[in-house]
Amino acid sequence: MAATTFVPNGLLSAPNNGDSFGKPTGLLSKSGAGKPTLDDMEIESSSSSFVRTGLLSKSASQSQSQKDTFKPTGLLGAKVKSTIDEDDPFDDLDLDGTTILGGSVSASTSSFKLTGLLSTSTNGTQSIFIATNHADAHLVDDLSGPSRTTTSSAPSNTLVLPRASVRATTFDGKTVFIKRKPKTVNLRSSATPASDKLNLLDVPIHRLMDDLAAKVAAKESEREAGPSSSASRATTTAKEDNLWVERYRPQKFTDLIGNERVARDAMNWLKQWDKCVFGRTNGKKRKREGNENQNDVQDPHNRPREKILLISGPPGLGKTTLAHVVAKQAGYDVLEINASDARSGQIVDDRIRPALESGFAVRGTKPLLAIIDEIDGATGAGDNSSSFVHKLVQLTLDRPKKGKSQKSKSSPQAILRPIICICNDINASSLVKLRPHAYQLRIQKPSDIYTIKRLREICDVEKLRADSRALSTLVGIAKGDLRGCLNTLQFIQARSAEVTEPIVRAATKGMKEADASLMTVLNNLFIPLSKKRVKDLNEADSRYVSRLSHEIDSCGRESAIATGCFAHYATLRRHDPNFLRFEKANEWLMTFDYLSAAMYNEGDFALSPYLPYTLVPFYPLFQERGAPKIERNQDDWNNLQLTKTNEEIYKTLVRCLQHASTRHGGDFRHLVNTPILQLEFAPYINRIISPPLRPVNSQIVRPEERAVMNRLVDIMSTLEFRFVQERGDDGQLAYRLDPPVDVFMTYDGKRAADVTISRYAVRHLVAGEVDARISVRQGDFVVKDKPTKQKGANKALKDADENEDSLSPSKRTKTDVAIDIADRPPTDFFGRPINTSVNLGGTRSGFAKKYFVTYRYKEGNSAAVRKPVKMSAFL
Amino acid sequence: MSLWVDQYRPRALDNLHYHRGLSNRLKSLAACGDFPHMLFYGPSGAGKKTRITCTLRELFGPGAEKLKIDQRVFLSPSKRKIEVNIVQSNYHIEITPSEAGNYDRLVIQELLKEIAQTQQVDLNAKQRFKVVIINEADSLSRDAQAALRRTMEKYMSNMRIILCANSTSRLIAPIKSRCLLIRVAAPNGQEMQDVLQYVSKRAGFDLPPEAADKIIDDSNGNLRKAILCLEALKMQSPDLTGPLNIAKPDWETYCHKVADLIISEQSPARVMEVRQKFYELLSHCIPPTVILKTVADRVVERVDETIKADVMHWAAVYETRMRIGSKKIYHLEAWVVKVMSLYKHFFYDMDLSGFD
Repeated sequence: MAATTFVPNGLLSAPNNGDSFGKPTGLLSKSGAGKPTLDDMEIESSSSSFVRTGLLSKSASQSQSQKDTFKPTGLLGAKVKSTIDEDDPFDDLDLDGTTILGGSVSASTSSFKLTGLLSTSTNGTQSIFIATNHADAHLVDDLSGPSRTTTSSAPSNTLVLPRASVRATTFDGKTVFIKRKPKTVNLRSSATPASDKLNLLDVPIHRLMDDLAAKVAAKESEREAGPSSSASRATTTAKEDNLWVERYRPQKFTDLIGNERVARDAMNWLKQWDKCVFGRTNGKKRKREGNENQNDVQDPHNRPREKILLISGPPGLGKTTLAHVVAKQAGYDVLEINASDARSGQIVDDRIRPALESGFAVRGTKPLLAIIDEIDGATGAGDNSSSFVHKLVQLTLDRPKKGKSQKSKSSPQAILRPIICICNDINASSLVKLRPHAYQLRIQKPSDIYTIKRLREICDVEKLRADSRALSTLVGIAKGDLRGCLNTLQFIQARSAEVTEPIVRAATKGMKEADASLMTVLNNLFIPLSKKRVKDLNEADSRYVSRLSHEIDSCGRESAIATGCFAHYATLRRHDPNFLRFEKANEWLMTFDYLSAAMYNEGDFALSPYLPYTLVPFYPLFQERGAPKIERNQDDWNNLQLTKTNEEIYKTLVRCLQHASTRHGGDFRHLVNTPILQLEFAPYINRIISPPLRPVNSQIVRPEERAVMNRLVDIMSTLEFRFVQERGDDGQLAYRLDPPVDVFMTYDGKRAADVTISRYAVRHLVAGEVDARISVRQGDFVVKDKPTKQKGANKALKDADENEDSLSPSKRTKTDVAIDIADRPPTDFFGRPINTSVNLGGTRSGFAKKYFVTYRYKEGNSAAVRKPVKMSAFL
Repeated sequence: MSLWVDQYRPRALDNLHYHRGLSNRLKSLAACGDFPHMLFYGPSGAGKKTRITCTLRELFGPGAEKLKIDQRVFLSPSKRKIEVNIVQSNYHIEITPSEAGNYDRLVIQELLKEIAQTQQVDLNAKQRFKVVIINEADSLSRDAQAALRRTMEKYMSNMRIILCANSTSRLIAPIKSRCLLIRVAAPNGQEMQDVLQYVSKRAGFDLPPEAADKIIDDSNGNLRKAILCLEALKMQSPDLTGPLNIAKPDWETYCHKVADLIISEQSPARVMEVRQKFYELLSHCIPPTVILKTVADRVVERVDETIKADVMHWAAVYETRMRIGSKKIYHLEAWVVKVMSLYKHFFYDMDLSGFD
C-alpha cells in the first residue's frame, strides 16, 4: 500500500532526494503551514517527516507506525497531482514552480484537517471526497502564503498588498498579480526568466523545472503501467475513485461483460470509420472475410452507411461505459454531451459541429468522437427544425447541392468523425427522426451469471464476504442493473463485512418499491395479499391503506390506475344486489376526478398527495381472494383514439363548410358552431346526400329523379364532398365518401337503418358529375385567382387548400390528417405505389438492381449470416 | 348551392316570419341612430343570428351582406399559433372566440382593440360605428368576459358589440348590464308550420300539413333542425304524402337505446354494456352533457312516477359534477349506477341492504 501511494506523493517526498530542495520547502512550510512551533531544523530534515509528524500528532485512529500514516498523504498526493495538471506546469516557467509548491504546501496544511476527518468518519468514501474538496478550498487561501513570501524576499517589494489579489514580482521586476483562485493562477503571460535576480529562489528555476519534468515523466510511465491488468488496476485506483461504480468501470474492451455481441457490433461499426478517420485500411483479416460490398455502400469519404450509432437499453447495463471503452480502444478522444449540458439545437451548431469538423480536440492528438448521452431527453419531438435531433441528423447528412456551388467543394464540410448516441428508450418520440439514420444497437440485460460473476470478483477484491444467494437476490431485484448492484454492495460494505440475503433485502427495499408497475398496483388493489406475502411483509392485512397508497404513489400514474379501476370494478363477480358498492366506488372515482381536474386545470398541484387515497377504497370494496389477474384494459384508450379520429373528420368537415361559406357569401357559417355541427348538421347532411337513386342511364332517367340528382350534385360539390374510388379488402372496387362524414351515422359499426347505402353504379354516376363540377369550378377559381397568387404565403396556402386536385398526395397529407391515407394512391406494404400489371415486370427488375446481398462472417457469432435476402439476389 | 336553411333565410327584418314585435323594435332601434350594445339570447334554432344579420342590414344597408371570410392568426404568449376564422364586411366583424379555446381572452383583446381604434373610413356609411358580433358568448371564459367589459364602455363611439348566446346565466353581470338584452324565443307550432310551408313553396313542392306537423313535433322548437329535417326528408322520399318516418339524429336514437338498456336490466354486466355505448357516443364527439340529458329524458319518460323526480335530480347532480371534473365517463356511469340502484329499490319496494 505504501509503495503505491507513495508515487503520487512525489511532490512531498521529492525534497528528500535533492538536498537543495530543503530550503524552498522549508520556506514554504514555514509560511504555508503557518506554524511557528516548527523550527527550521525540523523542516530541513525532510518535508515528508514533517507531514508525518503532523499526521501522527492528529490522527487518533491510525496506528503509530509510519506506513499507516502514509495512507492519507497518498490521497493528498493524488490531489496535489491533479492540481498541477490543472495549472499546466509546462507553459509557464518560473512562477509555476512556486504555485505548485504552494499547492503542495497547502495540501499538507490541510492534511491536518484531513486526518481529523478521516479518523472520525465511519464511511470512508464520502469523507474522503469531502476531505479532498476541503483541500481544494484551502488551496485558495493558502496560496497567498508562499506568494507572499516571494514578494517579501524580493528587494523591490515596498507595496502594500491588496486583499483581493496577491502581488508578486518576478526576477526581471515585472509585477504580477495572482488572483486568489487556483484556476486563475495561470501566469502564462508573465514569465521570461531573467538573470539578475537569481537569488529570489534558493534553487535555480531550471533545477526546479528539471525536477518537475522528471516527476511528470515518472507519473506518465506509472500511468502507462497502471492499467496492465484489471486486478492491479483495482488496487491502484482503489483509493482514487471511491465509488465502486467508478472504480470497477471497465477500461478495456476485454473487460466488458455480457452483451459481447453488441459490444463487438459497436466496435465493428467504429472500425468502419478507420479508413475515413485514420486513413488506414482494415487489416488482412478483414479482407479475407470479403466484406467488399461494404465498401460499395460507403460514400466518398469511406464512411459507413449510418453515420450515427444509437445504443439503447435500460439503465445500469453499461451503455455509456461501452461507448467510452470502444472509443478509447479504437483510438479516439471523446467529446461527451450529456444531460448536464444544455441540449438545444444550438449546441449542435456551437459545439458539436465545430469540434467534429476540425476533427480533433483542442489540445488532443487523437481524432475526436462525439458521444451524446441520454439523447432521449434532448429536444426533438415535433416538426421543429431547430430541435437537437433534427440538427444532428442534418449534420450527418451530406450538404445539399446548393452549398457545393457556393463554395469550392462541400467535402470539407462533411462530418468525418463518428457520433455515438445513447438512450434508454429507443421509442422515445424525440428519436423518431434519428432512428432511420442510425445504426441501432440494443443492450439487453446480460445473463445473471455474468453479473453475479463480476460482483463476486469485486467482492473478493473489496474483501466482502458474499454468498451467492445474496448476490443472485441482489441481481434479481436490480433487474440486471449493475450500477445499482454495485451501489448497494458498497452501501452494505460500509456497514458490515458480510453480504447475506436479509441484508440485501433490507438494503434494496427502496429499489423494489420504486418499481411498482401499473398492473401490479392494480392487482394489489383488487386481490388481497397471499398469506405468505403477509408474513413476509410482516404487517397485518388491515393496514392496507398505507401500503396501497404508498404503492399507488410510487407508481406515479394515478390517472391510469383510476382508469384501470374504473375498467375493472364492474366486471367482478361478487354479488351486489343494490349497487351499494358500485355507488361507493363511483363516489370515490368522482372525488378522484375532482381532485385531478383541480390539479391539472387549475394548476393546484398541492392536491397530488391526496390522489392515491381516493383509489385505496377499491380494496375494501372489491377485494376478492383468488380473483383472476387483471388484464390490461384498452377501452378508454381506444375510445380516446377514436375520438381523435372523429374530431379530425369534424375538422375536415368544418373546413369544407368554411370554403363553401367563402364562396357562397357566408351561407354555411352558422352551421359550423360546435354543438350544432355535431348534433344537427352531421346527422342530417348524411341523409341529405344519400337519396335513394336508381342506377339507370342518365339519358332515360325520370325528370324528378333528375332533379334530385342535380340537387345532390350541387350540394356535394358545394361542400366538396366526393366519392373516392377504392379497392376494398376483398378486392372489390367501392366508392368511399370523402370526407367520411358517414361515420357520424354509424354507431356500433352499423349504419343508421333509415339511410340506404347507395349502390356502386349510383355512386359512380354521382362521383363523375361531382368531380366534373368541382374541376370546372376550380378552373375558374384558378384563373380568377392567378394574379393574386403572389400575395403571400398565407394566401398561397389557402389556394393550395382549394385546388386540392392539383396537389401531390404528399402535400395533401400535411394539410389534413384525417383523410390522408384514403387520398393517397394505393400503396403496398412498403409504401411503394402499386402499379398496374402492365409495367409490373419492369419495376421488379428495377428493385432487384437496388438490392444487394451482404454476407459477413462474424467470429464466434451464431447469428452471423442471418439476414433477409431475396431469392433473386442469388440468381 | 346552399342548403335550404341558408337559401331561404330571411335577409331583412320585414321578411321575418315570427316575432313581429321584436322585429319592429329592432327596426326602430336601428333607425334612431343611438344603437346600444346588444345581447341576443334564446334557444338554439330560434333565429337569433338571422335577426342579427337582418338588423345589420337595417343599420348599414345591403353593404353589410358583402362578406369576406378569412383566417387570422394570433400568437399566444407561449408562441402558440391560434387560428380564428373571421367573417367580416365593411361594417361589421363576426367572430367565434370559442375557436381559440383557452386563449379567447387574447383574441377578444387584440381584435376588439384593433377595431375600436380605427374609425369608420367610409364616409357614405350610414353609421359612424362598426359592429362586432360575438357568437357563442356564453362559452367565453371569465377572463375574456372581463376583458370585454371595459372595452365595451371605452370604445363606445367607434364600436357596438352584439353578443349571441343560448343563455345569459354564464355571462357575468357587468356584461349583461351593459347590453340591451333581447330574448328570441323559439317559435311555436303554428309559426314553424308557416315557415316550413314557405320553404316548401319556395323550393317548389307541396308540403302536407301532417308531415310538417310531424317534423315540428320532432324538432322541439328548433327551426334550423326542422328545415334540415325537411330537406333530408325531401331527398330521401320525394313524395311526402302518406305515412312518414321522420329520421331522428343518430345519436339521439342511440341515446334512447341506452335508456332502454338501463331500464330493462340492472346488473353489473349491463353497467358494462351501457359503458360501451357511452364510449361510442363520446367518441362521436357528442357533448357529454347532451348525452346525459337525452338519456335522462328518455329514462324519465319510461319509469314510474314516483322515481321520476329522483332520476332527474341525480342527473342534474351528476351533470354539475361532470362540468367540474375532467373524465366524463366516470360521471355518466356513476349516474347510471345511481339510477339502476333507484330503480331496483323501487321495483322490489324494499331495502335490499340486508342482502349485502
